[in-house]
Amino acid sequence: MILKTKQLSKSFGGLKAINKVDFELPKNEIRGIIGPNGSGKSTFFNLVSGIYDSDPGSYIEFDGHDITFTPPHEIASYGLSRTFQLLRLYQDMTVIDNVMSGYHTRVPYKFFDAVIGRKKIWDQERAIKEEMMELLSFVGLADYAELNASELSGGQRRLLVLARAIAMKPKLLMLDEPAAGLSPVNVDNLMKIIMQLKEKYGLTLIIIEHILKVVMDTCNSVTVFDHGQKIAEGTPAQVKDDNAVIEAYLGKKMDDEEMRKALAV
Amino acid sequence: MEKFKSIIRDYPFIAFIIAFVILAFVPSVVFTDVYQSHLATLIFVNIVVAAGLNIVKGYCGQVTVGHVGLFAVGSYTAGTLFLYLGLGFWATLPIAIIVTAFFGVAMGIPSFRLEGPYLALATLGGGEAIRLFIENGNFFRSTFGISDIPTPSLMGYNFDSPDRYYFISMTIMIIAVYFSFSILRSGVGRAFMSIREDPICAAAAGINVKKYKILAFILSAMFAGAAGAVYAHMPPGYIHPNNYTVIEMVTFLAMVVLGGLGHIWGGIIGAIVITIVYDLTRPLYKYQLLIFGLTIVLTILFMPKGLGGFIDRYFLEKRFKKKTGTEKTT
Repeated sequence: MILKTKQLSKSFGGLKAINKVDFELPKNEIRGIIGPNGSGKSTFFNLVSGIYDSDPGSYIEFDGHDITFTPPHEIASYGLSRTFQLLRLYQDMTVIDNVMSGYHTRVPYKFFDAVIGRKKIWDQERAIKEEMMELLSFVGLADYAELNASELSGGQRRLLVLARAIAMKPKLLMLDEPAAGLSPVNVDNLMKIIMQLKEKYGLTLIIIEHILKVVMDTCNSVTVFDHGQKIAEGTPAQVKDDNAVIEAYLGKKMDDEEMRKALAV
Repeated sequence: MEKFKSIIRDYPFIAFIIAFVILAFVPSVVFTDVYQSHLATLIFVNIVVAAGLNIVKGYCGQVTVGHVGLFAVGSYTAGTLFLYLGLGFWATLPIAIIVTAFFGVAMGIPSFRLEGPYLALATLGGGEAIRLFIENGNFFRSTFGISDIPTPSLMGYNFDSPDRYYFISMTIMIIAVYFSFSILRSGVGRAFMSIREDPICAAAAGINVKKYKILAFILSAMFAGAAGAVYAHMPPGYIHPNNYTVIEMVTFLAMVVLGGLGHIWGGIIGAIVITIVYDLTRPLYKYQLLIFGLTIVLTILFMPKGLGGFIDRYFLEKRFKKKTGTEKTT
């Protein structure tokens, strides 16, 4: 198990955004997370990556480390990388700097070497830049390396965010709606790139996505959230036919008696 | 030429040694009177402060308006060390840098919780508190100022006039700029920039936000401390609390903004331009503040990345056109 949570809870005031979620993820799996808006999918990501502190009694384990109350930068150094729903691109940095800043946890030299500016530093910096340029050309952004990130189009931004998250060579990559706002052609292209990256780096993936076709086609297994609780888990085919899931998405099927009562009010 | 370029790329300090040699000949070749050397020293002091301010404000994005207070700490550490212990420049400079670094930590702690204008207010208070503390303390000679701070001497040679002191300030400036370059071009500079752009995402990417914020404050405080000590020992060796007011702070800010926030040359270009303009407009001293305020506003409106970014942009667009053969659309 690369990621394990036990009794994971988070409340904002009286609202239980995540309520006692047990979650397990084996290595090399592609897990899809679906659920209606406000069901706690993004909160789950924020808890796991350490952006929010979880409520007392929760337990999160990543790759053998207890990360329940670990600050986010340490969690990242264990090899957990994530993207954000709102991208959080570094707008005023160049594309290549964006990707290179994702490399931070792997930078080999120490601070004082950098202050003195030894030759070794510039060699290593060049090696990093070369590696990151390769990654950029892999996702197809090499031509734009020197432009500001704010000058990219929506689709290119999605690719850049993906490249930045990959730069740290994570063990687990958590993608928060990677395909939101993309046209069908671009979605296919993006998913193809994600699958290629998974093969190349041996990633484990968790994907939050509202486009069900993407989830059903690419994921090995799917977890469904509703009202902060895990309501179903299994292969895409199992989940598709689960009554609780259908209820969460489409509403409850009523029998005649219930219908009559509802209309009488 | 290619070979020379690759040598500079591997050993950037060679470029700084060349700059040192060129600048060393400037007084005897270019300058016509002693006043110009004095002005050059002021430029160098301002460059050191602005380079430091560029680290914390331009790169790390922490809006600090108390930087002039750190500059004052540097100056007054040097001044009081001379006054009570009779120490000379070579002893006061390192002590001033260390003491100012501690004040930098104090100035940086609010940045853990405050952001943007709120942090600006907190640091403004910090800077002004330092100045008022000096102005009202007999220990610091309050409003009399500390006078007759001696110029440094090295192996019997005394740098006692502006055209000699030029070499001291120039050397310190070159070293400071070298350090700022190597810090900002490395991964540390990138970490600062990511914190400026988005602290939450930076944390998720493995950057220890608090550590780097405080590091930026310490580094820029050390620059301000060094500049303060150089300023205190500058002939005629007189420091007064009035040299460290909010007005000076606005001037420093104008330098960094005009030069280009977050541009590696930003503070340097700005310090040169603003110091010279400041000197040329002395007859219009009533309007100077108005001019600098306007400069900040107009630069932010029409040239948000300052002169440095403006020049960069020109060359970038040329390169982009050459590479892709297309005009950029945005």
